[in-house]
Amino acid sequence: MKFHVDAWDPSYGVAFEAGGSDGPQAQSSAQIQPDVELPAPAWRAVDAPLGLRPPATVLVVDGVQRIDARVWATDDDGVTHPGVAASYAAGVVRCDLDRGAAAIATTRIERGLFTPFELAPPLVAGAIRYPARRIARGEPKDLALGVQRHMRALEVGVSSEERDDGDLLIVDGPLQERAHLPRALGYIKTHRVEYLPPELTAVVTRLRSGQRSPVFLLGTSWHRFAWYLRLPGPEGSPWAGIVRAECSADLLPADAIALAHLSAVTLPRFASSAYKDPRAPQNLIPIAGLERKLRAMLGDARLLHRALARTAARTVA
Amino acid sequence: MDANKDGPIVGRVLGTADATPLTFWVAVNEDAYLQLDDVVVTERELPGQPSVRIAGVVTAVRARHEGVVFDSDVFLVADGTLPATVQEAAEITTTRVDPEVYVPPTPGAVVHRAQGDARAGALYFDRMDRTIPMGFGRDGAAMFLNADFLDGSRGAHVSISGISGVATKTSFATFLLYSVFRSGVLGGAGETANTRALIFNVKGEDLLFLDYPNSRLDATTEAAYARLGLVAGPFPDVRVYAPPRAGDSSGTPDVSSRLTGVDSFYWTLQEFCADRLLPYVFADADDERQQYTMVVHSVTAHLARIAQPAEGGVAVDGTRLNSYADLVDYLVEQITDDSTRGQWAGSAVGLGTVNAFARRLIGSKKDLSRLIRGDLATRRPHAINTAESAQVTVVDLHNLPDRAQRFVVGVTLRSEFERKEKAGTAKPLLFVVLDELNKYAPREGTSPIKEVLLDIAERGRSLGVVLIGAQQTASEVERRIVANSAIRVVGRLDPAEASRPEYGFLPPAQRQRALLAKPGTMFVSQPEIPVPLCIEFPFPSWATRPAEAGPPPSSTLRSIAQANDSFAVVARVGGGIADDEIPF
Repeated sequence: MKFHVDAWDPSYGVAFEAGGSDGPQAQSSAQIQPDVELPAPAWRAVDAPLGLRPPATVLVVDGVQRIDARVWATDDDGVTHPGVAASYAAGVVRCDLDRGAAAIATTRIERGLFTPFELAPPLVAGAIRYPARRIARGEPKDLALGVQRHMRALEVGVSSEERDDGDLLIVDGPLQERAHLPRALGYIKTHRVEYLPPELTAVVTRLRSGQRSPVFLLGTSWHRFAWYLRLPGPEGSPWAGIVRAECSADLLPADAIALAHLSAVTLPRFASSAYKDPRAPQNLIPIAGLERKLRAMLGDARLLHRALARTAARTVA
Repeated sequence: MDANKDGPIVGRVLGTADATPLTFWVAVNEDAYLQLDDVVVTERELPGQPSVRIAGVVTAVRARHEGVVFDSDVFLVADGTLPATVQEAAEITTTRVDPEVYVPPTPGAVVHRAQGDARAGALYFDRMDRTIPMGFGRDGAAMFLNADFLDGSRGAHVSISGISGVATKTSFATFLLYSVFRSGVLGGAGETANTRALIFNVKGEDLLFLDYPNSRLDATTEAAYARLGLVAGPFPDVRVYAPPRAGDSSGTPDVSSRLTGVDSFYWTLQEFCADRLLPYVFADADDERQQYTMVVHSVTAHLARIAQPAEGGVAVDGTRLNSYADLVDYLVEQITDDSTRGQWAGSAVGLGTVNAFARRLIGSKKDLSRLIRGDLATRRPHAINTAESAQVTVVDLHNLPDRAQRFVVGVTLRSEFERKEKAGTAKPLLFVVLDELNKYAPREGTSPIKEVLLDIAERGRSLGVVLIGAQQTASEVERRIVANSAIRVVGRLDPAEASRPEYGFLPPAQRQRALLAKPGTMFVSQPEIPVPLCIEFPFPSWATRPAEAGPPPSSTLRSIAQANDSFAVVARVGGGIADDEIPF
C-alpha cells in the first residue's frame, strides 16, 4: 500500500466552474407552472409591499471546499487508484439586524481522502487526518462531486442549528435536502439554464433593483417554488444582479409569496459591492465573510500539500 | 503554572507576529483585557531544562476587526451583515527572563496577568532589599524604587523632566522625599531623623506649606497612602527661609502667604568677604562669556585678605562699609582708580575688562543688597545650614531676581557640599531638590554654580549628597549631571523635546504617551528595570498652596511671639544669640 501525491498544485486542472453572472447559456426542459402568484400573461415586476421589514435575525449557511492534494493509492497488487485529499467546511452566520451584530454561529470542518479504492487507509499528515471516504468511480468529475456531496451534507447538518422563531434561513445553493426546514430560502447566484419561456424571461431581465418576478413552481428532479430577484448594483448585462430564490413546494402558495416578499426586502441589504467582491452583487456580504473564515479554518494549502507529500513519501520508502 | 498562583489568564502569545525574547504580542481573551503598563507573565517549556518564566509589561495594545478587508467593512459589520471578530492584542516588552535563557515564548502559550509575587518578580521588586514606594501602577498596585539607587549605595541622584505646570515635577520630588522619610528605608529612626533635605522653592509659594496638613485630604487619599505603607500627613519637621524684604532695615522675611515660622536668611558683609562669595555674583549666563573672570578672582582674593569685621559691616583699608552698595561703590572706586587698580586686579588687566567688571558689579547692587547685609546683628541666626536646621529646609527664592537666585543657590550648595566634605561620611544623607536645573547647570558654558552641581553629581554619591534635579528640558542640562542620575523621571513632555536622545530610555510608545501624561503621572526609569514604570503618585498630604493649608503646626507658633527662639540661648552656648536679644 503506497501513496503518491501529485507534485502539481491541486488547483491546476480543476474542472472549470461554469457560469459567472452573464446569464444562462441553455434553455431548460424543466416543468414550469408560472401562475402561482400571477397568471402568465399578467406577469410583471413585483415590488415588495411598503412597510415590510426584514426579519430581526437572518441566518446564512454556506460551505467551502478545497482539494489539498491529488493522490494515487497503489494497492498491494500494484493497481493504482486516483483520489483527492480534500478539506471542506460549513458554517452559519447569524446576522442580528436589530442589534447590528453579525457573528459566525457554527462552523464545522471535515477532511477526507476521496477515492474509489475500497481498502484505502486514512491519510495522516502531521496532526491532520484525512479519513478515507469511498466513492463509486475515480473520474476527476466524480471525485469533485464526492467532495461536493460531503460538503453539502455538512451544510445540511449545520443548517438546522441555531434556529429561533421569526428568523430567516438563507442557504447558499439549492435548498433540496433542506426543503423541510421552516422559513428557509435557497439562494442561487448563477444561472446555468433558463427555466422560463422567453416571454416570461423578458419580465426577469427587465426587473429593476429590489424588484422580483412573480413566484412560479419549478420542477426538475424535485419541486420547489422559485422567483427571480434583482439585487442593487451597477447597470450591466440583462442578467446582472439577478439571483434566484427558492423555497419548499410543500408550503402553501400564499406562504411562498410571503416568503418571496420577505426575500425582496432582505436580500438587497446583503448585496456586496463590486470592488470588494468579484462576484458582486450576488455573493452576499455575510457569505463572503463566512467563506473567508471557513477558508482560514481549512488551514494553509501549501503547508498541507507539503505535509501530505511527506507522508506519501514515507509510505513509498 | 496555574491561574491562581500567577494571576488570571488573559490570553495567549500570538503566532501571526514574531515572538522574540525581548518583545512579543499577546492575543487577548474575549472576556479579558490588557491595558498599557499591565504586568503579564508566561512560561516556556525547554527540553531537559527547567522552564523559563518570561515576564513583561504591556507597551502597546490594539484592537481590530478580523476577517474584514476594507476600511468601509466596519459599516457592514455595524449593520449586522458582515461577520467579524474583534480581536485585541497587546505588545509585551520583556522585563525579566528567569532563568536567563533568552528564548522566545511559544506562540499559543498561556499568558497570565501577573499578581502578587509574580508581579513583584516581573518588576524586580523581589530583588530590592529596601524599597521606597513611589506611587501606583496602572493596575492600582504599589510601585517601588530601589533605595540602593537613591541613597548612594549603588547609585544616586534623580533627574525629573517635564513641561512646567502639567508635569508636577516638584510635587513628585516632594512626594519622593516624603516617601523616603516616612518609609523607614534609611535605616532606623535615628538615621531618618538626621537625614536632611534642602529644597529650593523657585516658583510661587508652593513649597512653603510642607508642614501644614492639607485640608483637602480625604479618606481615599489617606487609604492610598496606607496602601503604600505611608501615613498621610504633612512633613513633620520643616524650616522655611526667605530673603529679607527689600528696603526693610529690620530684615523681616519677604513672604506674603505664610506669616509664621519663616526665618530670613542673608549673608553679612564679613561673610561675603571672608568666604569669598564674590564669584557667585557673576554666575549669570552672560557672565560666563566675559573675560573678567580673572578680575573677579583677584578682587575676591584681595577682599578676603584685607577686609576686617566691623560690627556687622566690614572695614577695608580703614574704610567702614555698612552695606553691599557701599562695598560695590568702594570696589568700583578702587578698581577704576589708576593708583589702586594694580593692587586689586593685577597689572595685566585691560581697562575695558575692568570697566566691564565694574558695570556688572554696579548692576548687581539692586539685586543683592537685600541679601548681603552690614546693618543687621552679626550674631542673629541668618545662615542656611541644614545640619542645624530642621529635617526639611525650604529656601524661598521666588521673590528674588535671577541674579540673586543664582547667588543663593550657588553659595548655599557650596557651603552644604563643603560641610559634607568635611564631615567625611556619607550618612546622614542630604537631599537637595532644585528645580530649573537647566538654568543652574546649562549644557553650554561654565559657571561657579555649575561647578558645584557637577561636583555634587559626580562625587555627591560618596559624600551623601543626593541631587533631585528638575528641569523642563533635560536636553539643556549639562550631560554629565543627567548621566549621573541613576533614576530618571519624566512627566508630560513637549513633543519636540521628547524626540531628543536624552529620553532614549523611554521606549517609543512611552515617549508618545509622555506627550499626554496627566498631572500626577510619571514615567520612572531605574537601573534594574529595563522598562520605565508608569506610575501615578497620590495627591500630596501636605498643603501645596495657602488655600489648602490646614491649621499651622505648633512649631510655627513661636514666630508669632518672637523672631528668635528663646531657647537658642540655652541650646547654643557660645555662638548663640546674645542675651539682650531675648525678648523677655
